[in-house]
Amino acid sequence: MKKHILILSLTLLAAVFANANNDAYEKAMLKEIKTMGQAGPVEEMQKSANAFARIADMNEGQWLPDYYAALAYANMGFRSQGSLEEKDGYYSQAKKHIEKANALSPNNSEIVAVQGYITMGELAADSNSRGQSLSGVAMQTFGKAIELNRQNPRAIILMAQMEYGMAQFFGQGPEKACGLVDASLGLFAKEAAEAKEGNLNPTWGKRLAEEMKERSCK
Amino acid sequence: MKVLFTICLFFLVNLTLAQTMIKGTVKDARGETIPGVNIFLKGTYDGTSSEVNGTFVLETEEKGNFILVFQAMGFKSQEIEIVLDGGEKNFNPVLREAINEMTAVTITAGAMEASDEKRAVVLRPIDIVTVPSAMGDIIGAFQTLPGTANVGNDGRLFVRGGDASETSIFIDGMKVGNAFGTTASNVPTRTRFNPNLFKGSFFSTGGYSAEYGHALSSALVLSTVDAPVRNQADISLLSVGMGYSQTLVGEKNSLTASANFMDLSPYQAMVTQNFDWERAPYGWDAEVSLRQKWGKSGMVKAYAHTESGGMKIWQKVPGTEGRGQLVDLKNHYTFASGSFKQTGKNDWSYYGGISYSNNVDEFTLNQIDIRNQNQIMHAKAVALKGFSDKFSLKTGMESYFFNYEEGLRSEGLVWDFTDLQGNIFTEADYYVSNKLVFRGGLRAGHSVLADQTWIDPRFSLAYKFENEGQLSFAAGKFSQMPVEQLRIAKPEVQNVKADHLILNYFLTKNGRTLRAEAFYKNYNKILTYEGSQYFYRNIQQSGTGYAQGFDVFYRDQKSVKNTDFWVTYSFVDSRRKFAQFTELVQPGFAPRHNASIVVKHFVSKLKSQLGGSFAINDGYTYTDPNFTGQMNAKTEGFRDLSLSWSYLPKPNLIIHFACSNVLGRDNIFGYQFSPQPNEAGQYESLPIRQTAPRFIFLGIFLTLSKDKTANNLNNL
Repeated sequence: MKKHILILSLTLLAAVFANANNDAYEKAMLKEIKTMGQAGPVEEMQKSANAFARIADMNEGQWLPDYYAALAYANMGFRSQGSLEEKDGYYSQAKKHIEKANALSPNNSEIVAVQGYITMGELAADSNSRGQSLSGVAMQTFGKAIELNRQNPRAIILMAQMEYGMAQFFGQGPEKACGLVDASLGLFAKEAAEAKEGNLNPTWGKRLAEEMKERSCK
Repeated sequence: MKVLFTICLFFLVNLTLAQTMIKGTVKDARGETIPGVNIFLKGTYDGTSSEVNGTFVLETEEKGNFILVFQAMGFKSQEIEIVLDGGEKNFNPVLREAINEMTAVTITAGAMEASDEKRAVVLRPIDIVTVPSAMGDIIGAFQTLPGTANVGNDGRLFVRGGDASETSIFIDGMKVGNAFGTTASNVPTRTRFNPNLFKGSFFSTGGYSAEYGHALSSALVLSTVDAPVRNQADISLLSVGMGYSQTLVGEKNSLTASANFMDLSPYQAMVTQNFDWERAPYGWDAEVSLRQKWGKSGMVKAYAHTESGGMKIWQKVPGTEGRGQLVDLKNHYTFASGSFKQTGKNDWSYYGGISYSNNVDEFTLNQIDIRNQNQIMHAKAVALKGFSDKFSLKTGMESYFFNYEEGLRSEGLVWDFTDLQGNIFTEADYYVSNKLVFRGGLRAGHSVLADQTWIDPRFSLAYKFENEGQLSFAAGKFSQMPVEQLRIAKPEVQNVKADHLILNYFLTKNGRTLRAEAFYKNYNKILTYEGSQYFYRNIQQSGTGYAQGFDVFYRDQKSVKNTDFWVTYSFVDSRRKFAQFTELVQPGFAPRHNASIVVKHFVSKLKSQLGGSFAINDGYTYTDPNFTGQMNAKTEGFRDLSLSWSYLPKPNLIIHFACSNVLGRDNIFGYQFSPQPNEAGQYESLPIRQTAPRFIFLGIFLTLSKDKTANNLNNL
């Protein structure tokens, strides 16, 4: 009997620990995702990036912490007012994290979309000399993300931005890009309706679509 | 029950323990605070980031021995063992700078790089294709860069007082023999390779790495595209021919196959020519390029190019009447290479490959049939080891096989020679900091035919200033076997030697690039001879020479909207005793003053890029036998204004129009003199002119892709 109690207690203990661990992960992630959603300048984003990097270290099998760390670094690149070197530094950190995420979860539309987002950032940092070589790569990557999941609104809104840039460059109308914006808005709405409490999966990007709709597709 | 009780107690105790507060400020070696440092206890969720002023506060409920980690971009991580026992702890770590490949100083002495990936570059690959005067030839673009001379009757690359043979060309690290098409004398040639094949280039006008040998003045290293983006077909229609290229892309591999055909006859029928063509230049080429990813980071490439072409031209002989002599030329050429690169464990990486070039020229000259064949095989293996972020060592082995045969077939005269060369090289890079790097290298070689062993030491360093400008210095010894036409006449000839000294300043910032360089080059063991090809006599190897000067390059993509321009000036003071000369002279291929301007302007409304380039020099020396002395005369300066218009009506269609020498200047590159004086005792002369007053290029480039993503988008 004693033996049974011991085994039972040990099992319980293990379960408690495992649960605690999982709880801690989810708690930490939820908190940081919220913080990142409100983070403004580069310095605040850096804190989010650091926090996700810490969570990634603690949960080596999870792709989401690295995914968010990459996203934070990419956002830093976009928001930075600093030198090209500084921006490239952020993008190289972003790439490091997204590659880790990609290794953990290959052919993941969300990850591929952020890969494209990073390429887009590198392009924007020095469009004069990088435009020609990177715009094709960015579009290709967003295309792949869409192919992997046609319901991914982030892949679609990012592609819309590239399409819009191309159309402007060649003096064409924004119809195609705006079609994509509308498609993404629909998917964002669907995503919001379906989102459950405690969801850790990516939901960002709606604001991007709304801004673009407001600015370019009226 | 007891067990459960203990567990509960354990949790309780844990909860009631006092917090430990860790505080401090993070600074770098210079005492400046570092914001955004990731600070955490290893193995826990407890962590924080340093504030803008470098301070941090980390509160934790953990207890016992832990490791406190400090991580920040651009710095080496620091780990501190710490005992958590409640209360307050102070840490003020100093983080050491990490060597950052992307931002660290790079050695730019002698080098001009075109790359989309690296930072210290002069051009992007796309810029090369769009230089107006280049007419789609990669070399034409390099001729607008500092250190080069425009020698319009030759077309090859002349670097800092060196002749064209002193520039060695490599594709993916492998030697390319006869990279330029064979041509008749004074008819300019072009490179055989399509510029779209390459993703980047490294062009060095001196002081280059110990990795590159068999190059006296200059190395041009071209890298082929790694991974094409999509399946596509490229169709080109040109005023002088047409081409088709198909690219297929797989998950881990890709294939590009292309074929081109050119014939200048229809063009020459429409546009006035200075030369007396019997048959305008014609030719075709075909090439296949295969790329296969090898594991996670490796790559294997195979490339094969084959082509065939010819021309027939009447060349006037000074002092005689009539059309002169007929040169009938046919050329067959093949280049094949395989190369690999792979990253191993523990910071080892490897690359290497093998290449083979075979060039056959068949001439008929004054009813004499001539056939020359040049074969070069090159094999190379390099291992690179990073011992730390500061120190890396590159070591490699190379072997060359040269075989050259030349013959006056109709006379029954055939000669040939074969040489084997072995080379080893090693080179160490040491980064003192992100601002200072040293590089030292040694290259040793042995030639079986010349029975000569040599060692060439090379050294360079670079320092980066606060304003991102950097100063580089390079020095070294360089060797190259004489050209095969001379080696065959005297197989025991030894290496020609050169010493390079280079001081370079390079600054690129906010879309502007400034590059200034001073150089001194010393030549030894240059060959002198009497007679001409097939009949060289009295070959001596006692010629010497020097080249010294400076050049300046400024590029600006920022100051004028939608405009990119660069300005180059090169001053070269070169004298050498070479070829038939018996004293130091200024070579005909080394004008003293060279300048060029390239401007590209994008007009969104017209969906067009307008381009212009202007090149000027102070003229070419030549020997006028009517006066005493050698190289006693100089032509008028060369001047060329080229304009181009690229029209992009759709993303996949480019119409490119270019015209060289818009102003129609009659550029003279030298004079040919009659071998004997006429009755009046004068040597009669004929100017060496351009092939035509202008060259007009019209090309339509259409890309067709069944891009799946494009289809997807339309269906959304």
